Amino acid sequence: MPGAAIVRHVVTFGRVLREVGIEVGPGRAADAVRGLGAVDLTRQEDVYFTLRQTLVSRHDELELFDRAFVAWFLRGPVAPLVREKQRREQVEKVAGGALVPGDDGRERPDGAPLELGASAHELLREKDFAEMSAEEFERARRLLAVLARTRPRRTSRRRTADPRGDRLDMRRLIRQSLRCGGDPVDQAWKARKTVPRKLVVLCDVSGSMDAYARALLLFLHALVGTGQGVEAFGFGTRLTRVTPDLATRDPEAALAKANAIAVDWGSGTRIGASLKEFNDLYGRRALSRGAVIVVVSDGWEREDNELVAREMAKLARAAYAVVWVNPLKGDPNYQPLAGGMRAALPFVDRFLPGHNIASFEELAGVLEGIDRRHAA
Amino acid sequence: MYAPDVAFGTIDDLETALREAEYLPDRGLATALFLSLSLEKPLLLEGEAGVGKTESAKALARALPARLIRLQCYEGLDVSHAVYEWNYPRQLLHIRAAQEGTVSEDELFGPEFLIRRPLLEAIDSDEQVVLLIDEVDRADEEFEAFLLEILSDFQITIPELGTIKARRRPAVVLTSNRTRELHDALKRRALFHWIGHPSLEREVEIVRLRVPGIPERLAAEAAAFVRGLRALDLAKPPGVAETIDWAQALGALGREEIDAEVVEQTLGSVLKYREDIEAVRDETLTGLIEEARATASR
Repeated sequence: MPGAAIVRHVVTFGRVLREVGIEVGPGRAADAVRGLGAVDLTRQEDVYFTLRQTLVSRHDELELFDRAFVAWFLRGPVAPLVREKQRREQVEKVAGGALVPGDDGRERPDGAPLELGASAHELLREKDFAEMSAEEFERARRLLAVLARTRPRRTSRRRTADPRGDRLDMRRLIRQSLRCGGDPVDQAWKARKTVPRKLVVLCDVSGSMDAYARALLLFLHALVGTGQGVEAFGFGTRLTRVTPDLATRDPEAALAKANAIAVDWGSGTRIGASLKEFNDLYGRRALSRGAVIVVVSDGWEREDNELVAREMAKLARAAYAVVWVNPLKGDPNYQPLAGGMRAALPFVDRFLPGHNIASFEELAGVLEGIDRRHAA
Repeated sequence: MYAPDVAFGTIDDLETALREAEYLPDRGLATALFLSLSLEKPLLLEGEAGVGKTESAKALARALPARLIRLQCYEGLDVSHAVYEWNYPRQLLHIRAAQEGTVSEDELFGPEFLIRRPLLEAIDSDEQVVLLIDEVDRADEEFEAFLLEILSDFQITIPELGTIKARRRPAVVLTSNRTRELHDALKRRALFHWIGHPSLEREVEIVRLRVPGIPERLAAEAAAFVRGLRALDLAKPPGVAETIDWAQALGALGREEIDAEVVEQTLGSVLKYREDIEAVRDETLTGLIEEARATASR
């Protein structure tokens, strides 16, 4: 039976951890107490590992844990810990300015479906995002949500019952044949089902993309809402994973958060460095393998075009297919002259515009039926 | 309820047993394995490729000693490959053989027609078992949910046969390469340990243990060189497994020390990507070799 002092220590330390943002449930705390009962408490190292292994379950929480451990048990200098609460307040402050011009951020109460004359609809489809009014943008948001529902799919290895399947379902077959004295009168089949293919979107949120970033983030939000296997990143001078922030039901709040995280909104772009960060951090963990990767950027690299080419090559090798969306391509006179764009193009499977809804329809169509790189 | 045999009284005891099983854990990993045994909780190991996640489970099985049962996960892994499957050809034969009489369903779905896959094997065993669930992040989420059920109750239900409960709880080690985040519920069931690259001293020790007869100086240089590689910006930094492979290659070539020529010849067993090999050619390579030799002679 562990001493009351240990229990008190663990409970208090659990509170310290909660303050730095590591959630400690009662089950975990109980494990920690039991664990401490099994190890030698005079060895600081063993105490450290016991607490860490029972209370933490994610690699990215290790650093927070270490800081809390030093502060609490070793009475070390307390590093200023960023609290979840404060961060949230900051986010709200930064995102205070309305994202959609003139929009109060609320859904229309009647939730009226889109009822537009064909011509109005057509007009909206072709209108550049940069020139839309608040009301038009709201309509555009709904169209984008519909578009996002088409996802590239791949064949799963798992088979499910399917009368038009290609393999016999032996378990069901045997059971059914019992009724007929062992003769397989009714044949049971199964087939591979298709599941959504991994989709990774890397979205440039730098100054030169400002006018389009809003629409892109709406599209991203709708994409993340389509279920598992969608990852979204924003980049400017550095890369930020925005998937968790986009995974909320309320697009405006998600936009506010994603917007706030991309603190470099409006500054220069380091496409190569951002791609490298993606490859090193996420590509190595096989996030890009077999995925359809969509890069959304105007290709204005501020630093190193050679790095763009090198990292694009890496990306393309791991990915199933790479799509580059460039809003500037909407201009019929556009030539891909930007250095970063020229460096990236050899590794791009499909090069599309993304300046209005019509172009997003094209993107959705491409995503739905995209073929493996070089196979097309 | 089954009470655990206390195989190891202290972390030190377990560390010694693992050493005897030719595995050198650092204190953190030894603590994790010890806690997993004494709290009877699955252990989730994460870390870069090649740091010895799988190897540690195998070593634990040797140290206990226990039977190692390994389930390699892959996408689409399902119950019929992980837990059990009915032996259909035998069932059909049985029906045919009993052509005259009638075959009852109970008879046909009895234990003798059951093919036991790793998870059932681990639960339904009288021996002590170490169950290694390797690269669990590769299996899909539906399977994870299923695994969760087994790992919380240590029992498996086969509709035709009933519930099979573990008489001895297996020691469970799960490994993940973090290609995706595992479900929180699964993580809550398990202890978590992150394995990093070993310190230089430990890596030299590991190489000498795993490549018997290797000259001490060569082991030190090889470990220091690989450590230098890890500090570079590579697509796939080499793990301990690569250090061991490479040291074996160097030893087989009868080398006492490393030099530019032999490194060029054997670099392929350390670096597995063409772009990585190209990135360390020439000056970088010469620099790394000099540095490694200097470190080793200290």
